[in-house]
Order: sequence, then C-alpha cells, then structure tokens
Amino acid sequence: MIEVKDLVKRYGNHAAVDHLSFTVDTGKVVGFLGPNGAGKSTTMNMITGYIAPTEGTVLIDGIDMSQEPEKAKENIGYLPEIPPLYQDLRVREYLQFVAELKKLPKKERNLAVYNTMKETKTKDVSERLIRHLSKGYKQRVGLAAAMLGSPDILILDEPTVGLDPSQIIEIRELIRELSKSHTILLSSHIMQEISAVCDEIIIINKGKMIACDTPDNLTKAMMQSRGIHLVIRGERSKIKEALNKITEIGKVQYDETAEDGAIDMTVYTERDQDIREKIFYAMAEFDCPILEMHLLETSLEDAFLALTQKEGQ
Amino acid sequence: MLAIYKKELRQYFSSMIGFVFLAFFLVIIGIYTWAYNLSGGIGNFEETLGSISFLFVILIPILTMRIVAEENHQKTNQLLYTAPVSITKIILGKFFAVVSLFGIGILVICLYPLILNMYGTDVRLSLAYSSIIGFFLLGTACIAIGMFISSLTESQVIAAVGSFITLLLMYLLSNLTSLIPTDALTQCGLTAIIWLAIAAITYSLMHNPTVSVLLGVIGEAVIWILYFVKSSLYESLLNNILNVLAISTKFDDFSLGILNYDTIVYYLSFAFVFVFLTIQTIKKKRFS
Repeated sequence: MIEVKDLVKRYGNHAAVDHLSFTVDTGKVVGFLGPNGAGKSTTMNMITGYIAPTEGTVLIDGIDMSQEPEKAKENIGYLPEIPPLYQDLRVREYLQFVAELKKLPKKERNLAVYNTMKETKTKDVSERLIRHLSKGYKQRVGLAAAMLGSPDILILDEPTVGLDPSQIIEIRELIRELSKSHTILLSSHIMQEISAVCDEIIIINKGKMIACDTPDNLTKAMMQSRGIHLVIRGERSKIKEALNKITEIGKVQYDETAEDGAIDMTVYTERDQDIREKIFYAMAEFDCPILEMHLLETSLEDAFLALTQKEGQ
Repeated sequence: MLAIYKKELRQYFSSMIGFVFLAFFLVIIGIYTWAYNLSGGIGNFEETLGSISFLFVILIPILTMRIVAEENHQKTNQLLYTAPVSITKIILGKFFAVVSLFGIGILVICLYPLILNMYGTDVRLSLAYSSIIGFFLLGTACIAIGMFISSLTESQVIAAVGSFITLLLMYLLSNLTSLIPTDALTQCGLTAIIWLAIAAITYSLMHNPTVSVLLGVIGEAVIWILYFVKSSLYESLLNNILNVLAISTKFDDFSLGILNYDTIVYYLSFAFVFVFLTIQTIKKKRFS
C-alpha cells in the first residue's frame, strides 16, 4: 500500500507538486494521468525516495520513506522514465548486479535473474551489451530490474513511451500479468492506455489532483454525457431550483467562480439531448441572467484535455 | 556495498579506462625507474617515486571523472538511490573500487625494489616500501578529491578538468604560498578576502541572506579587531593554513624514507573528509 499525504515539491518558487494526497491500496493497479510537466515523474521520484519532498510524507506499507528509507525501498520496484541501464554491461551482468544491490541471497540470485528474464522475454539478449539493444528491449530490461527481488509494489513511469505499437501491446500484456500479484502505480499521458489496465485513475495537472475515480466512472462522466459549461449571475439556491425543473440534467458540477456574483458550473446530460434552450427559459423564469454558455467537447481525449487545461488557465 | 564495488571494477575493465590507467601509470613509473635506478645507477627507489608525485595530477582525474558524474548523466543514479542501500554504502563501494584499481598498479610497483635488489647492493627495501605506502596514501587522498568533484557535475569532462585544476593547484600550492608576503597586513587583508568568499559560498548554498551577511560581517569584524589588538598573530598565518592543503609536499617525508604517522593520519583524514563531502553533496541534491 502506498499512502501519499500532502506532498509538496518546490523548485525555487515553482511548485512542481502541490499538496498531493492519495492512497494506492494493496493489489490495485492505479494509473497516474497528466500532460507532460504535470508532476507525475516528480511524484514518483518522491514516492521511491529518489528525491526528498519539500513537505509531506510518503508511507510504503506503513513505513515512512523519510524515516526508514532503506526498509521502505525494499518493497518497491521502480522503472523510471529513462530506464537506468549501464550501457557497458551485458544484460545478465546488469540484472545480476541489480539482484545483488537489492540484497537477494547469493543462492537465489541466479534463479531470480533467470526467472525475470523469462518473464520479460529478455533471455535471448542476455549476453548482449545493453548499449546494443533496441528501445523495446531496453524498456524490458528496465522492467526486469524493477521486478527483481519480487517487490510488492511496482512503480512504472511511462513504461510504453517511445515503443512501437506491437511492443506497447506486449508491455501492456506484461503489466496485466504482473497486476495479478503486485500493487502497481503506473503513469502515462495517454488516456486509453491507462484505462485499459487500471482499476483506478488519478488525473493530475500542474502538481494538483483534479480527478480520482475508476475508469468506468470517468468514462461515464466524460463519454456518455454531454457537458454544458455555464456562468450564471444569481444566488446559488435560486439557480439550483431552476435547474431542478429540467429533468434531463444528470449531474451538476460547481466549478470555482471567477466573477463576483456569478456562478460557474458544468451540467451534464445524456449525449443526444440538447437542453440549452430549456436552460435559457428556466433561468429567464427565475430572473438569473446567463453570462456564458457553451457545449463541452466530450471525446475521452478531449475531456481529459479539458480537465487538465481548465486547471491550467 | 560489495555489489557496487564489483560493478565499478567490472565497468573499469569493460570500458578500457582501467587498462588505460594501469598502462599509463606503469609506463611513466617504468620510464622513471629506468632513468633513475637502472640507467642512473641509483639504488634509491624512494627518490624515483618522490620525483613523480606530479603523476597524480594527470592520472587521478582520468580515474575519477566518471565515478559519480556519469551516473548523474545517464540517470542510473535512479537505480542506486532507490535501491535499499544507503548512499554512504554506495559511495564507499565506489571509492574502494577506484582505490583497488589504483592498488593493482601499486602492487605491480611493489616488485620493482625487489628486482633492483637482485642487481644492486645499496637498495634499501624498508625505505623503498615506506615510500610506496606514502605514494599509495597520497593517491587515495587524490582519489577522494576527484570523486568529490565528480559528484558536483553531470559532465565527465567538467569533472576531469575540475579535478585536474584542483589537484594542480594543490600540487603548486607550496610554491604559490611562498610568493605571498608574510607581513601581518597583507596576510590579514587576504584572510579578509577569503572570508568574504566563504560568506558568498554559504549564500549560494543556503539562499539565506541574513545568515550569510551576519556571517560575513561578524567574521570580518573579528578578523580586523584581532589585527588591531594583536597583529603579530597574522604573520604567515595564511601560509600555514594554505600549506595544510598542499598534499604533495607532505609526501617529501616519504621520499626521504621517513614513515611519519602524522602524515599517514593526514592523508587518511583528507580522504575521509572528501568522501564525507561527496556523500553530503549527493544527499543535499535530493532536496534541491
């Protein structure tokens, strides 16, 4: 189990990660989604103890990373964005080094290396220099290194980036296989990829969490409904009453208000309905002028972009 | 620690640096041994070593440039620092790997006095070996300095040039300090300037203007008050301080055949301080 509480990382005045809190339960596969520069890698680096947070705590199976780093790190296998490979070692040498680094007993080392090479299908290249491997194989050797010592928790930073489509499918399959026996936190900036393998998705942008739900719920919210963004002047209770009259409205989400006296909100309806006129008349009836109204794009990718870009503005 | 140690040694020999270092090291010492002992007909191996302590200025940067900088550059430090091993152990493993590689060269040199002894009568083995011990310790201290500089950067080239300049300055330091006038005013002025530099460095490390300004002002006040109260205190003070850093002059004892415990402790503490600084640099980087 990974518990992240109020995590902050500041570089000068810029907060790369800003008061982030979440929990990854044992056995779950959680996707970490966000555009480039959202703070995904920084967060992962803090969870694995590579960099120290400015504020906040990371608990790995209840062990505080800053208090007992060596003990906490024993349970984690980490595949960073760029696999940390020594170009001048052979694959087997490298994995043997990692096994020793992770303090596997001498007797088990060879077997463990053999098994992980088998699982990640890197046996064919075991005697090749890492420098001469293709990107896909490098990624797999990195994954093999993370898996060595069978840690309970795997943290994978964009494991499929830079791979060709068939390699992506292979890695995805491997992750699915691993998810049976591991807790996995996996990051990506591609929505489909994450929703294909994850039990839960955390969307972050500019270091802040903007959504955390199961892929089904997120997809439901994003795909099957149509969002209308509204800015209406008036009291919240009045507007609520007006909206209640429109039966087609499924969900109302109040956003942060930008203007004084006005209320920002997004209302969702079934995809094939257009209730803009109904909203207009309802609001007119209750004497609440509509300042802004526009339809939101609702493809999965667009919804994700809308979510992340809205935060950014 | 052992894992890192073995990996480093393996990398030294798979990337040729290990062989290049040993070859260069042995060739230079071989030439000097030939010139002094074989061709010159002198039985004192300690004099040979004494005259080539400059070797470290060139050789140690080659050996230490990649040790931490390359890990920073290739991001392989992510593997090391997220493994269940403390940073202290990682750095010690690396340090001992370089020292061992250097030790291989020293072991070969250990044969030279024996070879000379086979053909000459005035070869004093105890002197020769005490100077080899000193030579080894001097090299170890230089390795620690090189490793520290390597930990400050991501570039092997900068690490190599930085170590080269630092070691060269340390090598030339005793000559340079003899040029500084030893009168109290000059010495006091220079001490004041150096203190300002120290205050500036603390600012760049801590980004805390209050502390740095206080440090600077109080330090300067103390320096100048002391000067007016008792100026004799400053006579050749700076020279004495700087000479502590002139590590190669300490080797003179060894080349005279004196196995001086002070110097052994001096070299070992020098190495210790720089290994410690390396560890602290890496720990600090995690927070920035």
